Amino acid sequence: MRILWFVLSPLMALAVGLFFLGLSRRFMARIQWRVGPPLYQPLIDILRQFTQKSVSHGPLFDLGVVLSLASSFIVVLFMPLGGTAPLSSSGGLLAVLYLMLLGPLGIALSGGEAANPNVSIGISRKLILAVGYEVPFLMIVLALMTYYGTISIGEIVAAQRESASAIASFPLVFSGIAYLLILPAMLGVRPFEVVGAAQEISSGPAAEYGGPYLALATIQHGLTMFIGISLFVNLLWGGASNPVVFFLKMLVVFAFGFWVNAAFPRLRVEQAVRYLWRWPTLIAFVGLILVATIGR
Amino acid sequence: MSLGLLLIVAFGGSLLTYLLGKVSARTRDAFAVLISLALVVMVASLYGKAFRVPFYGGFLGMPLVLRIDGLSWLFAIAASVLGCLSVVFSLGYMKGKERTSFYYSMLLLVIAAMLGVVLSGDLLSLFIFWEIMSWSTFLLISYNGGPALAAGMKYFVMSFVGSLAMLAGVLTLHGSFGTLEFTGVAAGMSSASPGYVLAILVLFGVAFGTKNAIWPFHAWLPPAHSEAPSPFSAVLSGILIKMGVYGFLLLMFVIVGLRTFLSLGVGRIEFHTVLSIIGAITILLPTFIAIFQNDAKRLLAWSTVAQAGYIILGISFGTSLSVAGGMFHFLNHAVFKALLFMVVGAVEYRTNGVRDLDSLGGLIKRMPVTFIVAVIGVCGLIGVPLTNGFVSKWLIYKTLILERSPFLAFAALFGTWGTILYSYKFLHNIFLGQLPQRYEDMERAPFTMLLPMTILSVVVVLFGVLPGIPLAVIDTIGVSFGFESLHVTPWGIASDTGALNTVNMLVAALVGLVVVWCVFRSGARSVSVGQADSYAAGAAVPRDKYQYSVRFYAPLRRMMAPYLKDFVDSFYMRLAGWVRGLGDGLRRIYTGYVGDYVMYILVFLAVLIFVQIAWSPW
Repeated sequence: MRILWFVLSPLMALAVGLFFLGLSRRFMARIQWRVGPPLYQPLIDILRQFTQKSVSHGPLFDLGVVLSLASSFIVVLFMPLGGTAPLSSSGGLLAVLYLMLLGPLGIALSGGEAANPNVSIGISRKLILAVGYEVPFLMIVLALMTYYGTISIGEIVAAQRESASAIASFPLVFSGIAYLLILPAMLGVRPFEVVGAAQEISSGPAAEYGGPYLALATIQHGLTMFIGISLFVNLLWGGASNPVVFFLKMLVVFAFGFWVNAAFPRLRVEQAVRYLWRWPTLIAFVGLILVATIGR
Repeated sequence: MSLGLLLIVAFGGSLLTYLLGKVSARTRDAFAVLISLALVVMVASLYGKAFRVPFYGGFLGMPLVLRIDGLSWLFAIAASVLGCLSVVFSLGYMKGKERTSFYYSMLLLVIAAMLGVVLSGDLLSLFIFWEIMSWSTFLLISYNGGPALAAGMKYFVMSFVGSLAMLAGVLTLHGSFGTLEFTGVAAGMSSASPGYVLAILVLFGVAFGTKNAIWPFHAWLPPAHSEAPSPFSAVLSGILIKMGVYGFLLLMFVIVGLRTFLSLGVGRIEFHTVLSIIGAITILLPTFIAIFQNDAKRLLAWSTVAQAGYIILGISFGTSLSVAGGMFHFLNHAVFKALLFMVVGAVEYRTNGVRDLDSLGGLIKRMPVTFIVAVIGVCGLIGVPLTNGFVSKWLIYKTLILERSPFLAFAALFGTWGTILYSYKFLHNIFLGQLPQRYEDMERAPFTMLLPMTILSVVVVLFGVLPGIPLAVIDTIGVSFGFESLHVTPWGIASDTGALNTVNMLVAALVGLVVVWCVFRSGARSVSVGQADSYAAGAAVPRDKYQYSVRFYAPLRRMMAPYLKDFVDSFYMRLAGWVRGLGDGLRRIYTGYVGDYVMYILVFLAVLIFVQIAWSPW
């Protein structure tokens, strides 16, 4: 069964990630009174991009984007998606925290070799934004790990199945709220679209990408969405007993994380960090203090 | 293998190197490499041994003793290997510089003194070797003169305060127990009062903390590391400051003992918790100062302070996992930080001494191998899975979480995110981005530089994939301290509190990379273009006009700069200014006129007479 999940998890992540990309475009269009592209438009784009010629700025330019996507797939292997996680005994949530940053880091290394000013600005923004949301995010994750006394995602899911979901239990509700507040920043959607700001810095890190590069970067973006949302479902909403329920829960969280997208204009990176370090951090901090003092 | 012979080779080698330098530079270089290699072989042959030998009969009635055990072997092997690699690196780096014989001789002397420190079996020998180490370090830091001399002075003054504290500790212990041998002192300490033990810990803690540059004794480190010659910075940051860690481990777990150490405290405040919090502060503050540094070596120096914080946090938290993590992190930091300093050294060598992050860039095209090793070193520093830093940090995080110290864990984890910021800046600003025209014809780094860097980068990955190799040694040390065993396997640990398996991850990573690479390759081929051929939204990017790396994290800096002043350093500098003012004031008394001096004597006598008449105390 576990061997099967090694293949199933990445495929599910790929499909759901692309579906979310399509859904978000559709969602946006409807809010703006447009029809919007079909849901499978991202898939068409990716297939087309694979046949298009592009430019390369060197070996690292190629390797970085591959590394970025590969590491995102590895993170997926750590997630129980309504079943058992394929890589459950390899460092747990702590390893996931690290592997999650290899995605942006791979893009950063790849973009770095391109010697393009927009790319450099985009990367600098991405890293600053990451520091912004990592403060509340780490507090949330630490509150959960301390509360359940484990670093394994699987055990956190199992513990929630025995009692209530984390988001519905007393001290952890703060962590849940804080997570929802930082979710748009983690997914990189507006108002936190500072990294790939198309009109400002020509899509930032992706400025030099075309053809297969852009395809991989797009898939990576879809996977980032998938990971951010599935972490929420696993850690705070009790996971699921089968992939279908898991997917439905993800859909709800996605809708919640996305509605702000249409309603707000883009922030500047300092404004984003200032926001992230104010309310979400405060709420996450309260949650962490309560967990540390009251405990289970 | 006798310990005495080892030290004779080490110290004698240092002296002979200097003398040989008078005859021929080539012979001297070969001899220095040979001596440092011999030291590695000799230390390696001592693996697994534990014994003591008196080497000098009666210094004030006390025998001076050398000893070796697992702990000292670990530090000795790290010191000798890093020393050897640094000597090899120096062959290229120091070519054509002045006073090279002096440099090599001092470098070997530092290595010899470090071996002396870790092989000492009593506190007096420890103190003597410690002083030799401090002095020779001072001479090497100030090797370049100018600002290096000021940096050296700062190091020396702070180091001297530490030495004084240590001397006071040694004298106190001798007064109480009449012996300075570790075993004797440890026996005495077990029956000493908690207050006494605490006082001893604080006295030695100042000495070791200054050497290890933990907050608030860190102020000497950034200038010293950035001004020293790069191969020596590698030794300085990699192993020399870790002598402080050795001292802490020795003091906490060998002399004071695990149980006493964990129970020490004033009221409800536990000493080891306070030390852990200091460790956490040492992680956070320097990490965020490092982000805004523009001098590559200064950035690495601040990073060293921060990483020392992880080590202190690990060993002072006092669980079997955390102490193992702390010791492992010491070893890992020695490897990747030495590597990174060598990378800067190689860049400096080829660019004639440029290490300003705002004016480098694009060197990946000219120094590809140096870039690859730099990436590996940076991954180790961040703690990316499958590099050595991941395992040691993982051990520390894990125990902090399971022992319910989420705030310390937060400091450690958030410090890692800061590390990503400055590490990426380091890589990007040196190797990525535009290649300035003036570096277009630059050559690759010479072989004598690439060899040590490659060896170190192999170790970074090896210890990351098979952490069991060093952890087995560290586990035996932990067991000798009184901790329970971690059940080390070649690819991680298999303890009840949660397993770590790096092989799974390696396989997943390889499969993932291969699959994605194949998918990527199946797409349309790309055309290779030069760096000038980039998309700038319709505007041409003129060559060498802009440097994109300047003020890389400007928005964050605008936010954080007011909070990131190094208050401790400004305090020390004000103190130094105040002392200098006092000195100037005192100097005014010494006017040089005999008449004034006669007057001082007369006034003094008059005061004495007045006192005698008024109160008649004599």
